[in-house]
This record gives sequence, C-alpha cells and structure tokens, in this order.
Amino acid sequence: MGQSRWARDWPLHLMVWTGLAFVLVFSYGPMIGIVIAFQKFLPLNGLFGSKWIGFDNFRYIAHMPDTSRVIFNTVFIAVMKMIAGLIVPIVIALLLNEIVVKAFKRTVQTIIYLPHFLSWVILAGILRDVLSPNFGIVNDFMAWLGMPRVFFLGDERWFPFVLVASDVWKEFGFGTIVFLAALTGINPVLYEAAVIDGASRWKRTLHITLPGIVPIVVLMATLSLGNVLNAGFDQVFNLYSTVVYSTGDILDTYIYRLGLHNFEFGVATAVGLFKSAVSFVLISVSYLLAYRFANYRIF
Amino acid sequence: MLGKKLSSWGLVGTLVLALALSACTKSNGAGNNPSTTASPSESSPAASSASPSPSESGPDASAPVAAAAEGPLGKYDPPITITTVRHFNTGLKFVAGTDWDNNVYTNGLRDELGILIKNLWIVDDSQYSNKLNVSMVSGDLPDVFEVTLQQLQLLVEAGAIADLTEAYENYASDLSKQALSEGGGIALETATFNGRLMAIPESGSSSRDDAQFIWIRTDWLKKLNLEPPKSMDDVMNIAKAFVNGDPDGNGKKDTFGLNVDENLFNGWAGLDGFFNGYHAYPFNPGGQGGTGMNLMFLEKNGRLEYADIQPEVKTALGKLQELYKAGAINPEFSIMNGMKSAELATSGKVGMTFGQFWNAGWPLNDMKIKDPKVEWGIFPLVSADDLPVLKTSNNIVPKRFWVVSKKSEHPEAVVKFLNFFMEKNYGETKEIKYNALEENGESKPTFGLAPVRGGFAETNQNDYYLVQEALKTGDETKLTPKAKDYYDGINRYRDGEVALWPNEMMFGTEDGSSYGILSQYKKNNEFMTNAFLGAPTPAILKSGPALKDLQVKEFTKIIMGESPVDAFDAFVENWKNSGGNQILAEVNEWYQMRQ
Repeated sequence: MGQSRWARDWPLHLMVWTGLAFVLVFSYGPMIGIVIAFQKFLPLNGLFGSKWIGFDNFRYIAHMPDTSRVIFNTVFIAVMKMIAGLIVPIVIALLLNEIVVKAFKRTVQTIIYLPHFLSWVILAGILRDVLSPNFGIVNDFMAWLGMPRVFFLGDERWFPFVLVASDVWKEFGFGTIVFLAALTGINPVLYEAAVIDGASRWKRTLHITLPGIVPIVVLMATLSLGNVLNAGFDQVFNLYSTVVYSTGDILDTYIYRLGLHNFEFGVATAVGLFKSAVSFVLISVSYLLAYRFANYRIF
Repeated sequence: MLGKKLSSWGLVGTLVLALALSACTKSNGAGNNPSTTASPSESSPAASSASPSPSESGPDASAPVAAAAEGPLGKYDPPITITTVRHFNTGLKFVAGTDWDNNVYTNGLRDELGILIKNLWIVDDSQYSNKLNVSMVSGDLPDVFEVTLQQLQLLVEAGAIADLTEAYENYASDLSKQALSEGGGIALETATFNGRLMAIPESGSSSRDDAQFIWIRTDWLKKLNLEPPKSMDDVMNIAKAFVNGDPDGNGKKDTFGLNVDENLFNGWAGLDGFFNGYHAYPFNPGGQGGTGMNLMFLEKNGRLEYADIQPEVKTALGKLQELYKAGAINPEFSIMNGMKSAELATSGKVGMTFGQFWNAGWPLNDMKIKDPKVEWGIFPLVSADDLPVLKTSNNIVPKRFWVVSKKSEHPEAVVKFLNFFMEKNYGETKEIKYNALEENGESKPTFGLAPVRGGFAETNQNDYYLVQEALKTGDETKLTPKAKDYYDGINRYRDGEVALWPNEMMFGTEDGSSYGILSQYKKNNEFMTNAFLGAPTPAILKSGPALKDLQVKEFTKIIMGESPVDAFDAFVENWKNSGGNQILAEVNEWYQMRQ
C-alpha cells in the first residue's frame, strides 16, 4: 500500500544529483586552476609544469600604474549599479502594484523583462546609434530642447553613467518581478486596518509596504553585494573605447587586455582570485549583518 | 497511476538531458564575428605572387619510400595523416561542392604527395588565437599550425615545437628556398633561435604593398571643380570642401572630408599616409587590434628614436585638429571601428580616405556594385613641402609562421606543404585553380586553403607589368595564370561588368591603379622602414599596452581639440617617463649589437 520513500522520491534524487554533479564538475573541479595565480603559467607546461612564483603575480598587479584607478572605476560603477539596481525595481514594483487592470499590469511586466534577454553585443550597437552625438535621437531630442549635444560614449565624464543607466534599463525587469511577488505576500488586512485608521497612501507605503518587503530587499542586496567587483565585463567591453579608459576601464577589461596580448595567464588568474576572495568576504559579512539586523536567515 | 509515473519519468529525463547537453558547444566556424579592422588579406587577390620566369623547381615525384619519402615533393606511400588547425576570414567563399576537407589543396596533396590533411578545428580569424591557446593548454597540439611571432617565442621557450633545420635543408625545393631567402634572408632569421630554424616563416608578403595611397571620390571632385591633390595643402582644402560644398547634392551639410576611426593607423581609413605627408611615421594602432608592441623606430644620428614622438608628428596633429574643427572628421571617430568607418564611406558620407592597395576590393567594391555611378579614384601620397614623401612600409618582417609540434612523426611534412604550394603557384606545373576559381562571374580565391603558403615579394608587381604589356599589345601569351585573371577582369570591367572593378583599380593603369602608383613609389625607393627589426623587448612587452592607451588617448584629444597642440610635448615627456626611456635603451642595445 505505502510506497517506500525511495520509490516515491527517486525522480527528485535524480534531478538533485544531476545538478550537483554538474556543479561539482564545472564549478568545483576547475578550482584547481587557482594554482595558476601562483605560477608563471605557460600553456604548454600545463598546471604542473609551470614555475611556482608565489605571490609575485599579485605584487605585479599592485605595482601596475593603472591598478588603483581601475579598481576605483570597478567599485564606483558596481556600487552605482547596485544602488540604482535596487531603487528602480522597488519603485517600479510599487507603482505596478497599484495598477488594477491585470492585463495592463502583466503586459508591462513582460515588456520590462524583455531587455534582459538581449545580449550586450546587440545592445551596444543600438546604444551607439541612439547616443550618437550627431545622428542619435537622444541628442536630437536634447538639441530640440536647446541643450548642448553630448558625446555620451566618448566622454569620460558621462561614460560611467551611461553604463549604469543602460544596465539598469536592461535588468530592472528581473528585480521588479521579484519585488512584485514580495508585495503580493503582504497581508491585505494590514492595509485595511491602516485605511480605517486614516493613513494616507504615502503613509501606508512607508509603514506597511516597505517594511513588508525588507527581507526580500535584504536578500537582493546581499546577492548583489557579492558582485561588487564585477562591474560587468560584457557590457563594458562592448561599449568602451580608448578615450574612456580612465573612467570606464574596469578590472576585468584591464586584465583581459593584459592577458590577451601578453599571455599573462598567471596575472589574469590572480586578479580573478582576488575578486573571488573579496566577494566571499563581502557575502559572509552581509549574511551576518542580515541575520543580526533584519533577523533574516538567507541560507 | 501509470500515466503519472510516465510523465514524471519524462520530465526527469528531459531535465537530465538538458543539463547534459548544455555542455556541448558547436565549434567549426559557425560563430561568425565580422573580423575587425586590418586587412582581410586572405580574400584580396594574390597576397602572394607568381614570378614570370619559371625557375628550376624540384618536382621529384620519384622513389616512394615507406617512411619519409625522399625529395622535396616525394610521395608518401602508404599515405600519412597530418593534423592541422585553420582560421578564415568571414569573406571566404567556397566554390560549390568544395569545403575545407575537399578542395584543390587537400586533393592535390593527397594524390600527389600522399599526405592526408585532417583539420582538427576551423574558426574565424578573431577566435583563432584563443582557441589555439586552449589547445596548447590541453596539450592537444596539431602537427602543423600557424602562429604569430609572439606565440612562436612562447612555444620555443616551452620547448614544444620541432627543430626544422634539417627538414628544411634536406627537403626544401629550390623555389621554396628562393622565396624564403628573399630580402637578405630576414624571414629565416626571424624564425631562427639559437642557430636553429624553429618555424617556416611566411614569404611573399614583403613587396612594400603596405604603403598607403589616397582614395578620393572623384565624382565629388568633379562636382566641386577640384583637382586631385598635389600637396598636403590640397588635401586639407579638398577635405574642407567636401564638408561645405554639399558634394552629394542633397542640400544638407552631412558629408565628411577625411575618414578616421578609433584605430588611427590602419590599412583602411588609417592616418599613416596623412602623417607621411608631413614626414612623420607614427604607427601605434588603437582599437581592439592594436597591441602597442609593434613600435616604429627611426634612425637619427646613429641612434634609434621612437617615431611617434618626433616633432613632425606634432605638426601633422595640428593639421588634423584644424580639419576636425572645420567639421571634416566625424566627431564619433574615437569610438568607431573599421567596420563603422567602412559603412561611413560606403554610405556616401565621406569622400576621402587614406588606405592600402586592397581598399578597392573591400569595402569600396560593394559600393561600386550597388551604385556604378559612384567613382573612387586612387592617388599617390603627397608631401607638405618640397621633400619627397616617404611611405611607411614595414612588411619585410614576416608576421606568420608555421610550426610543427614536437610530437609529430613527420616534421618534414610542413616543408613539403610549402614546396607543393610553391610548385603549383610558381613552378612548372602551376595552375590558376590553385590561386582562385571562378564561379558565376565571381572570382573565389583558393590560395588561402593551402595549409602552408609562400610566395615571392614582387609577384603582384610583376603581374602588373605583364598586364600593362598585354593591354598595350593585346598579346596574352606571356601572361601568368594570375596575371591573365587580372587582365580578363580588367577587360570585362571595361566592357561593363562592374563587379570586376577592383581589378581595374589594382592593375589597370599606371596612374590610376594601386600597383601602377606603387611602381612609381618603388622607382625611387620612397619608403620608410622600421629601423628596429627585432622581436618586442621586455620593456616593450611590459609597458607597450599602457603606453599605447596613453598615446591613442592623447592623439585623439589633440585631434578633437580637447587639448591644445602643445599638449603633445607634455605627452612626449610622459611617454618617456612611463617606460619609454627603458624601451629606447633596450632598442638601442639591439641596434648597437647589429652594427
């Protein structure tokens, strides 16, 4: 009569173990490559034949003239993306939540999620045309308003903001949907009680809605914190050019150029290791903070 | 119950399958990225050449031996398999029925030399380097493969490739030896390490055809009543006129006078020729392709000086700034790559561009086919003063090398590949099908399909002379197969077949074709070559990329008027202090050893 647990659960096991095997082989296995960061790696000598040089690669990076500027760019761009990437989806989610017409709400949700599926190669081409100082619609619009034309992609003062704005535009759909889901989890009884007590719409948002989604916000913030050194190679690589290196060059693109032309695999790996170490520390810290202050266990 | 069980099986099975298959990727050249910037030399007609006088080759198809067959073109019996890897330019087109495993070269090598070629993988030009690195790491090196000078040095250092000294001595045919010994044997020298030959360098690319010309819309010149330029002042005026004179007649001020893009120095839309006019010879391409490690040095007073920081460069930059202010240069040039600047030209938005001999083949030919009324003319570089203008030309140092993996059992096969190529293109049994095949009125190059290539420097130039002779006398008998191809192309173009316009522009007339003008350049040897012929020194490897970024940024700012021209002096100081002095010291060390 009662099936054994195994007979009932084996499909689940199969799914889990397959996924786990995948992660082990493709994510944990390659970790052995970390040794490259400590070697003068020559592809032909392989992992075990290359000379061991300890922390020399890290010292080399520290002494490069542009390292500090590049790290600053990376952190600056990443932090801006994180902040904007939290605020915009929350605001949009709050606005969408107020919409009564379900069809409209769903259509908007789908449309804002679509840019996520475009690759940066395509978007870069589109952005180049749209932001062109002479032929682009953004500048044409600005000129019509009487404002001076701006060379967005070629001006080092504007470039980081173009990066942040375009990235937020591309990715806010995902965050919005997550926050929308969180919003539906708030008990409507609380709203009714507040209305009875005479709370205005703004007060309701401030005291019920926002605190209600705090756990999700904390979760999203923590997840993105691990990305603080990942300012987005794909995007920057497709949009940058020599003239904006001073503000647009991030750690990954810098090392890509070094690694590609100089075959400095050891250095490139060292930087990757450095980034991972920093991310690990940050995620651990934010996990602890989340637990302490929001009483929220992520894992 | 059964139904439910089956559907859960099905779901699980699908998921597992999806996970497992996600690791498979498709190789073999499916992912085509348009190759950026520099010359698509694979698809331009005859990057290699054919000497008019058939010299003694050694088609020794005798004495088949079980192992290494004797003689430069000896046949292996039983046949051997040689593995290799290939890359291709996105412009590559195959004749119907042929592909990488079935073409004139694979078939010829199999039938005549008993060598079967196995291509381990084939990718687009832009991915070749990376894919090769992966192969190197996995220890999965093919028998024969193509590398750059830098990769060659890495391989020699790692001891992964075979010593080819004996193979070359014993198996190279006379034609091959002739080709590789041109230019004082500099090609072989570059491939020699500690007295041993470690690679077969590419020959036949040293004919000075990297010198630049000026390509101008002659229909625009006519419309504005302007003469072709005789001096750099004329160039300046023409550029400005193209902006203000509304040469495309559409009533809008939407045309530019000079094509420039983020590379700054390049075979297409490059400024090399512009600088040459002011007797400056900078060369440090920006953009994705520039490495910052191929630096140009000039000999001055017994020392080598860096070409890009000479005072003449400052003068030319000032002129470019002037043009930019006048609106002759596209303000977006600093973020445009070669494809975008090509689009600018082919969409009729710019009327003048400096470039190399092959620009008629790409990108200008597409424009001509679409609108035959468009007229592009080619003109020699001009000088800013009375001194003759020297053209930067550095292609006497080979850029491609073929190496053999240490594990290969037949290191001499690479030499035989070369022998075969030389014989079929320049020897007594030469046939045009080994250079190009025609299909539907279009010429499809085949020389790029050979695993190893070579040639003589002056072939294209010699073909030009043959074509000129034939055009004058109507006598076709002296034409080599390639020259005949050009000759026919020119005649058919003149009869109205617009698609063959590149032939006219490269070989058609003395004053109106690249090789015609190049022959004038060569009369007085009006070239400036890099005085530094060694591989990049440690200082160049270390500081080159950062210095390139610095230089490109400074030059761009000066051109765009964001910095005054005098900022150039500050740049020179900066360059020297950020590693430039070290570079100069090492380069001069090399120079002193050579004296």
